[in-house]
Amino acid sequence: MTANQLSTHGLDLRYGDRLIVGGLDLVLPGGAVTAVVGPNACGKSTLLRGLTRLLAPAAGTVALDGADIHRMPARALALRMGLLPQQPVTPDAITVEALVRLGRYPHQRLLSPWSSADHQAVEEALRRTGTAPLRDQPVDQLSGGQRQRAWIALALAQDTDLLLLDEPTTFLDLRHQLDVLDLVAALHSEAGRTVVMVLHDLGQAARYADHLVVLKDGQLAAAGAPADVLDAELVKSVFDVDCRVIPDPETGTPLVVPKSSAQRHPAVTA
Amino acid sequence: MSDVVRNGKPAGALSPATGHRPGRRRTPLLAVAGVVVLCALVTVAVANGDMPLPPVDAVKGLFGVGDFATVLVVQEFRAPRMVAAIVAGAGLAVAGALLQRLFRNPLASPDVMGVTGGASFGAVAMLAAGASQALIPLAALGGGLLAAVLLGVFAWRAGVSVTRLVLVALAVQAGLYAAVNFMVVRFPAELAGSALQWTTGSVYGRTWTEVWSAGGAVAVALAVAFALHRRLAVLDLGDDSAGALGLNTHAARLQVLVVAIVPASLAASLAGPVAFVALAVPHMVRFLAGPPTAGTTALSGLAGAVLLLASDLVTQHLLPVSGLPVGVVTATLGAPWLLVLMIRQSSSVNRSVR
Repeated sequence: MTANQLSTHGLDLRYGDRLIVGGLDLVLPGGAVTAVVGPNACGKSTLLRGLTRLLAPAAGTVALDGADIHRMPARALALRMGLLPQQPVTPDAITVEALVRLGRYPHQRLLSPWSSADHQAVEEALRRTGTAPLRDQPVDQLSGGQRQRAWIALALAQDTDLLLLDEPTTFLDLRHQLDVLDLVAALHSEAGRTVVMVLHDLGQAARYADHLVVLKDGQLAAAGAPADVLDAELVKSVFDVDCRVIPDPETGTPLVVPKSSAQRHPAVTA
Repeated sequence: MSDVVRNGKPAGALSPATGHRPGRRRTPLLAVAGVVVLCALVTVAVANGDMPLPPVDAVKGLFGVGDFATVLVVQEFRAPRMVAAIVAGAGLAVAGALLQRLFRNPLASPDVMGVTGGASFGAVAMLAAGASQALIPLAALGGGLLAAVLLGVFAWRAGVSVTRLVLVALAVQAGLYAAVNFMVVRFPAELAGSALQWTTGSVYGRTWTEVWSAGGAVAVALAVAFALHRRLAVLDLGDDSAGALGLNTHAARLQVLVVAIVPASLAASLAGPVAFVALAVPHMVRFLAGPPTAGTTALSGLAGAVLLLASDLVTQHLLPVSGLPVGVVTATLGAPWLLVLMIRQSSSVNRSVR
C-alpha cells in the first residue's frame, strides 16, 4: 500500500538566490489526504510547485513511488498527478465544459480525436463537482465557489491518482469552503484519490486530513496524524500564537482556540 | 465595464443564464459569409482591369475555359496578384491571431513586432545583392526570424514583460524599416521595380513562381498551426496549469512563435510589410465570433484574405490616384485603429486572473 507515495529527500527549492525550502525530508503517504499548513511565506506553495515539477530542485530529489519525478517524461507524470494552482489563469470567456476538457490534454496525442474515454472522464468530472448544469457558462462569470469547482473538475478530468491543491479554499466563504473540502473528502473516500492540499485553517486541516505536514521557514516543524502533532506548543512555536487546543465538539479532532488578546499581549494591554 | 467592451460582449452577458455565446454558433455562418464575399471579390478582381471582361467569362478564364486572350489576361496577369493578396492576407491574419493569443496582448502582431519589417529587410538585402527571385521567400523568412531573434535578445533576457516586448519590438521594427529605406535609396537600380513593395507593401506584379513557392509554404505553416491548437489552448491556462497537464511550456511557446513567424514572413515576401491586417483582423473576428478557438483562427485567415484583396481592389479601381500600393490603404485604416487599441489597452485590466 505504498502506491502514490510522494517523498522528498534533502530537497532544496530556490527562487534565484533565495532559499525557500531547505533540506526537506518528507513522506506524503499514498492513499491519504495530507494537509500542508504553516505561516505565510513558509514555503507551502513553493513545496507544491517542487512536488509537481514546476520548480526544479536546487538540491535533493522528489520521488513518486521511488521514481525521481524530474526524470519522468512530463506527460507520464501528468497522467499520475494533477495540480490546482493557487491562482489559476482563466482564459477569456472560456466555458466550464471547454475548461474541463483541457484536463484531457495528457491523455491525447497531437492529432488524436476526442475519444469516448475523454468524454466519460469529462462528464464524470462535471458530475462529481456539480458543475454539469454550468457547463455552457463562461467561467469568468461564475461565483468564486463555482469557479473553484470548475477548476477542480479540470483536475479531475485529468484522471490522476494524485491530486495536489494549492489553497483551494482561499477567497471562499465558509459554506463554499466546506463544499470544496467535502468534495475533496469524497474524492478520497469514494474514488480513492491521494490528496495533498495547502490549507490555512488549522481546524479544517485537522478535520479533513489524515496526515498533517507543518512547515516553518521552509523547514519541517512536524508531521503526522493531526491528533498526534497539533498541540498548543506547536502552534506557539510555528505561528507564534498562544492558544488552547481542544477536541472539536463535532468531530473530536484538534481545534485551535487562540487565547484572548489580553492574555496574548499582556504588556500592551496592561 | 471596459472588460466587457474588450470582449466584444453585450453588457447583458452579465446574466449568464440568458447570455448568448456568439462563438460556436456564429463561426460557421461567418465562415460561409466570408467565403461568399471572397468569391465575389475574386470575380471582381479577375473581371476588372485595363481590359474589362464580363464576370462570367473572367471566372471561366480563371479555370482555363474560354478564348486564348481572356485566359491569358486572367491567368497570367490578374490571378497571380489576386492569389498573392489572398495568401498574404490569410498568412498575416493567422500570424496575428496566434501571436495575440500567445502573448495575451492585443498589440502583438507580426507588423508591430518587427517580423514583417525583418522579412522585407531580408528580401531587400537579397535583391540588392543581385540574387535570384526564387530566393526571395527564403530571404524573407530569414529576415523575419532575425527580427524575432533580435527581439528575443533584447526583450527576453529578464523574463517576458509584455510591455517591454512591445516597446522593444517597435524599436526593432523602426530599425529594420530604416535599413530597408536605406537600401532602396542606395541600390536604386537593383530595387527599381519593387521599392514600393518593400517599403509600403504591394502585391503589384507578382508572378506565379513567387505565389506558388510562398503560398505552398504558408499553407503548410497554417496546417501546422492548427495541429498545435490544442497546445495553444492549454498554454492559455498559464504556466503552472499547463505544466501540470504535462505540456512543456517553453517548447510549446517556441513552436507557436515559429509557426506564426513563418507565414507572416512569407506573406511579407509576397506583399511587403502590409500594415494593419495582422493587427486588426483578429480583433474584428473576436468581436464577431467571440473568444479565440481553432475555428476563429481559421476565420481570421479568411477575413485577412478578404480584407487584403478588398484593399487591393480599392487601390486598383476606386482611388483617383493610380499606382498606389495596397499598403497605403491598409495603413490609412490601421493608424486610427492602433490609436483606439492603445487607448483601450491603457484603460482596461489586461485579463482576468482566477
